[in-house]
Amino acid sequence: MSVDTANAKNMSETQRLQNLSEDDFSIELVTSGATASLFVEIVRRYQQQIYYHCRNLLLSHDDADDAAQNTFIKVWQNANQFKGDSRLRTWVYRIATNESINLIRKRKPTIDFDEAQPEMADMITEDLYLSGDDISLKLQKALCYLPFKQKLVFTLRYFEDLTYEEIAVLTSTSEGALKASYHHAVKKLEIYLSVLR
Amino acid sequence: MDLENEKIGPAYNAPDSYFKESESRLLQRLGIDINSPEAAAPKIESTKPLEVLMKVDTTGIQKRARKQDPQTSKSVGVDKEVDAFGKVEIAPLTFTTNENPEWVNFSAISEETIGSSDSLNITKVTYGDLLNPVDETTEIKTEDSEILETELAVSEIPVPEIIASESLIAEPAELIPTEMESELIQVESAVIEVQSEGIESIETIELTVPVIAEGLLEEKIELPDSIIIHEVPDSVGLDELESYIAPINKPKSPVIEEIFQQDEPQIVNLEAPATAFAPIAGRQKESATPGWLGVAASLAAIVAAYFIWNAIQPPKAEEAMATELQQEEPTAIELPLDEPASPKDTIPDGLQLVEPLITGDMPKYKEPNVYTIIDAKEMPPRTKRALQDLEDNGLATFDMEDEMFEELDFESL
Repeated sequence: MSVDTANAKNMSETQRLQNLSEDDFSIELVTSGATASLFVEIVRRYQQQIYYHCRNLLLSHDDADDAAQNTFIKVWQNANQFKGDSRLRTWVYRIATNESINLIRKRKPTIDFDEAQPEMADMITEDLYLSGDDISLKLQKALCYLPFKQKLVFTLRYFEDLTYEEIAVLTSTSEGALKASYHHAVKKLEIYLSVLR
Repeated sequence: MDLENEKIGPAYNAPDSYFKESESRLLQRLGIDINSPEAAAPKIESTKPLEVLMKVDTTGIQKRARKQDPQTSKSVGVDKEVDAFGKVEIAPLTFTTNENPEWVNFSAISEETIGSSDSLNITKVTYGDLLNPVDETTEIKTEDSEILETELAVSEIPVPEIIASESLIAEPAELIPTEMESELIQVESAVIEVQSEGIESIETIELTVPVIAEGLLEEKIELPDSIIIHEVPDSVGLDELESYIAPINKPKSPVIEEIFQQDEPQIVNLEAPATAFAPIAGRQKESATPGWLGVAASLAAIVAAYFIWNAIQPPKAEEAMATELQQEEPTAIELPLDEPASPKDTIPDGLQLVEPLITGDMPKYKEPNVYTIIDAKEMPPRTKRALQDLEDNGLATFDMEDEMFEELDFESL
C-alpha cells in the first residue's frame, strides 16, 4: 500500500467520522472501539467546549489548559470503558469537571465547595484569551460569588447549553434540584451585576 | 438585568491556533500518529508486551541483601539477581513449623488458593520427604508474558521426630499408624519486576502452586529409634532441644498408648495426696516446749507491766490525800439509836461502800471555804474567837496573815 493510498483512506475515514452525528459517533466508539482517528475526532469535537468549561471553573488559562489536556488523556485511556449508557459529551464533560475539581483541591486543599470564593475574582483581571467584553467579565466576576455547584450548573446550562437531563447525569443530581439551583444562581447573578454596574 | 433574555457571551475567546497547538501537543503526549488509524486505545486490563517495557539500568542497584530466619532470628546474606529488565530474583525462603506452628495456619489456606495458579508456591513436606529428599525442578511461567521464571528446589532440613506424649491430643485423622509429620513450608523464589515511571500498567506476580503433601501423609515410614520430648517450653530452640529428649528402646504409636490406657484398670487411691511439694512449715514436728510455760510467761509479763505502770505514775499530792480523807468522813456519820432503821440498812454489807451511788443522795463535793484575812492583827479578840468557832465546826477556813508562822528560811537549814 503506497503512502498516497493510505493518506487517502485516512482522509475518507476522517470525513466519515466528521459527518457522524453525536449519537452515531457514540455507537461507533462502542462498537468498533477507540482508534486514533476516533480519538482525534473526539478531541476536535469537544476540545473548545472542554477548555471553556474548565476555564469558567478554574478562571486561569494555565489551569484550564492542564485540566483539558488531562481530560482527553483520560478519555483516551478509558475510551474502551465507555459503554454508551450516557451521551459521549456528558461523559467527557464529567471527566473534565472532575479534573477541574481535582485541580482546585490541589491548589487549595482547604477549599469548601459550599462556600463562594470571591477572592478568585482577582484572577480574571489579566489573563490570556479574555474577550474584552465588560459585561462578560463582570458576569465572570459575579460567578465567583456563587457556591461551586450553582456556578457549575449555571455554566453548563448558560454557556455550554447542556440540557437539564445531561447536567443531571453529569452531576448525579435530580433535574428538579438542578432547576432550583439554576434559578437561585440567576437571581443572585442579576443582583450582583446590578451592584457591579 | 434579565440574564435569561439578555444572553451574555463567554468572557474567554481563545484563538484556533491555540486549539491546534493543544491538539498536536496532546497527540504527541499520547504518542498517537494521525496517519495511522490502526492505533487503538489502551486496554486497562490488558498487559503490555515485553517489548514495550523500558529497559532498566541496573547499575548501582544493591545486589546483596540479608534474609532473616524466622526460627533463629539470624540473618544471612543472599544474592539478588537484577537483570536488564529489572527482574529481581530472590533465593528460596524455607522454614519449618515444628517449633511455632502458629506461624502458618494451614487451615486458613483454602483449597482454591492452593489450587490456584495465581498464589504463591506453598508446599507441605513431611518428615518422610526429608529422609527421602525429592529433587524437583519446576519452571513457573505466567500466562501472558514470560517474565517470571522460578526454580523450585526442595531443600533438606533435618528435623527430629516428635512422638506425642500423653499430654498431647491427636486428632482422629492424624492417628494413622505413621509418625507425626513435621511440616515444612517452602516459599519458592519469586521474580519481582521493577518498572520505570513511564509504564502505566504494572505486571502482577503470578506463581503456580503445586501441592505435594496429601499423598505423602499416608505413607508409612520406618524410622530409627524415636525420642520423646517432655514439656518443652516454647522458648526452647532446636539447639537446646537435645537436653529435653530421652531415647527409648521401643517406639510406640499414640494409638497403641491410648488403647493400653483405656484397657488397664485404674486404681483409685483414697489416701490423702502426697505432700512432696508441701511447704516446709507444714511438715515440722511438734515443739518440745510444754504449753504451760507460755501461759506463765504471759502472766509474768502482765504482772511486770502492772508494777512498771505504778512505778512511773506521779506521787499523789498531800492536798489530794487530805481531800480524800475529808470525803470519806461523811460516810462515818453516826446516827442516833432512836431513829428507825432506814432503807439503807437493807443494803447488803458488801455493797455498803457504794450505798450513796445506789441511793442517789451522794453529796456533791464542795471546795473548802477558805477566806483570807489580811489584817488579822487588828481584829478584835471577839471576832477572832468567832472565826475560830467557825473553823472548829468545819464551816470555814481562815487564812489569817497574823504572822503566826514564820517564813521558812531555806538558807538556815
